[in-house]
Amino acid sequence: MDNHVLLQALLVAIWAGIAGIDLFNGLFHIHRPIVTGVILGLILGDLKTGVITGAAIELVWAGMVPLAGAQPPNVVIGGIIGTSFAILTGQEPKVAIGIAVPFAVAVQACITLMFTAFSPVMHKADQYAQEANTKGIERINYLGILTLFVFYFVIAFLPIYFGADAAKGVVEVLPKWLISGLGAAGGMMAAIGFAMLLKIMLKKQYVAFLIVGFILVTYMNMPVIAVALIGIAIALYDFFKATTGDGSVRGVPKRGI
Amino acid sequence: MESKQVVETTINHTSSPDYYQNGATNQAVTKKDLNKMVWRSLLLQASFNYERMQAAGWLYSILPGLKKIHKNKHDLSESMKSHMEFFNTHPFLVNIIMGIVLAMEEKKQNRNTIRAIRVAMMGPLGGIGDALFWLTLLPICVGIGASLGQDGNPMGAVIFLLIFNAVHFSLRFGLMHYGYSAGTNAISSLKENTKKVAHAASIVGLTVVGALIASFVKLESSLVIHAGQAKIALQKDLLDKVMPNLLPLAYTLLMYYLLKKGFSPVKLIIITVIIGIIGKIPFPFGTIL
Repeated sequence: MDNHVLLQALLVAIWAGIAGIDLFNGLFHIHRPIVTGVILGLILGDLKTGVITGAAIELVWAGMVPLAGAQPPNVVIGGIIGTSFAILTGQEPKVAIGIAVPFAVAVQACITLMFTAFSPVMHKADQYAQEANTKGIERINYLGILTLFVFYFVIAFLPIYFGADAAKGVVEVLPKWLISGLGAAGGMMAAIGFAMLLKIMLKKQYVAFLIVGFILVTYMNMPVIAVALIGIAIALYDFFKATTGDGSVRGVPKRGI
Repeated sequence: MESKQVVETTINHTSSPDYYQNGATNQAVTKKDLNKMVWRSLLLQASFNYERMQAAGWLYSILPGLKKIHKNKHDLSESMKSHMEFFNTHPFLVNIIMGIVLAMEEKKQNRNTIRAIRVAMMGPLGGIGDALFWLTLLPICVGIGASLGQDGNPMGAVIFLLIFNAVHFSLRFGLMHYGYSAGTNAISSLKENTKKVAHAASIVGLTVVGALIASFVKLESSLVIHAGQAKIALQKDLLDKVMPNLLPLAYTLLMYYLLKKGFSPVKLIIITVIIGIIGKIPFPFGTIL
């Protein structure tokens, strides 16, 4: 009996690792609950419940997509915990969703921490770039994939093996301010990336455009694409003004139309 | 640590980033290479992080092309360094940027022009991709798949995967080749105006960076100041009245200032984490962030 549970937990955990990688890389979308439902149905021996629960969870997550880089509750763990719960306890899909969402929110917070923790690794990558060390850059990316796999493997294995209640306790032990503080830091972290771009690109004559871009989003809530089009409009005007300015004679373009 | 940094800066000063030791512009990238790089771009977010986002994955994706284009180690290093700068776009549409950038690298374009094109394209394509894939293609495929799945039919998952990936991969390969040929053609016609193109691209690039600061950097205060009977919410009643997104802008400029002062990015990360944690500690007067 125990061996059977261990084997099932291991198989589910391996699927979680693969699906977790697919969520950010590959994006074949095998990580969606509708697919997870079929796979877990096969592993846990109840295909029909798996498929039905997977489809129900899928619809919950249909609107929860990563818009503008904001991370929604984790769809991989939501699908896996919800489906396993429904199959193992025989509860209705609705109850499974109620169990799945809190887990998915907690895992989303962990992902935020992971993205924060991986920031310092970029400076190793800078060093490899300086040395033109292509193997080093590749290693860093493979390390990222491995980290994702291990992370999802552990997160899925523990609750399936020890039961959902035990896992909930662990989340509650960590102080809330620590988790939300790291989340807040994650939100500010992009400022460093932009500052590095500015350090290279910003010259006095371009400050005006930085201000324009910022204002258009802040006050007009414009999408980035609209702002880019305005930038293109200014750039085009500037480009052709400069061209005709020294290239035309009496309004007749030098090179014809 | 300190002395190493000094060495690094002197290296940066002696070698201008726009200077290629090998300026030959032979065609180095084949169709096969482009296809290979499409597959590698599946790992675009392998090393995703908040500081550079997809930068290291982007560099990983285009490495085979860069290696073929820049046989000279100095040129390869300069190119790799610039591609480690902040990058973030939609993971499907990235392939068109890859195609264009590879064409520009192959033609040994001015490094600042390549940088500006890369920055100018990533933001808008991110927005288009969100609308196209997450808000259109995905819901359509989910709808078809889940309606079968609700009846307990496992074929729902198979159909979902087939439709989604047919669109997904034809776009990836199509955009890569389109971007590369469009980039090559555009460059040859614009070659005589390189300086003006760099100027125009910088205009678009910085407009987009301004927009990105306002949409990506998240920093808000939840502090409430009690002045006698009155309660003043620092963010809503004061900061937003001055200017929304004031804190994200101020924080980005602070980081910019500290970088110019010679602070290393690692130090800035540590400072940011400390500020974040302190901001969320529940003080008697409430939390700061």
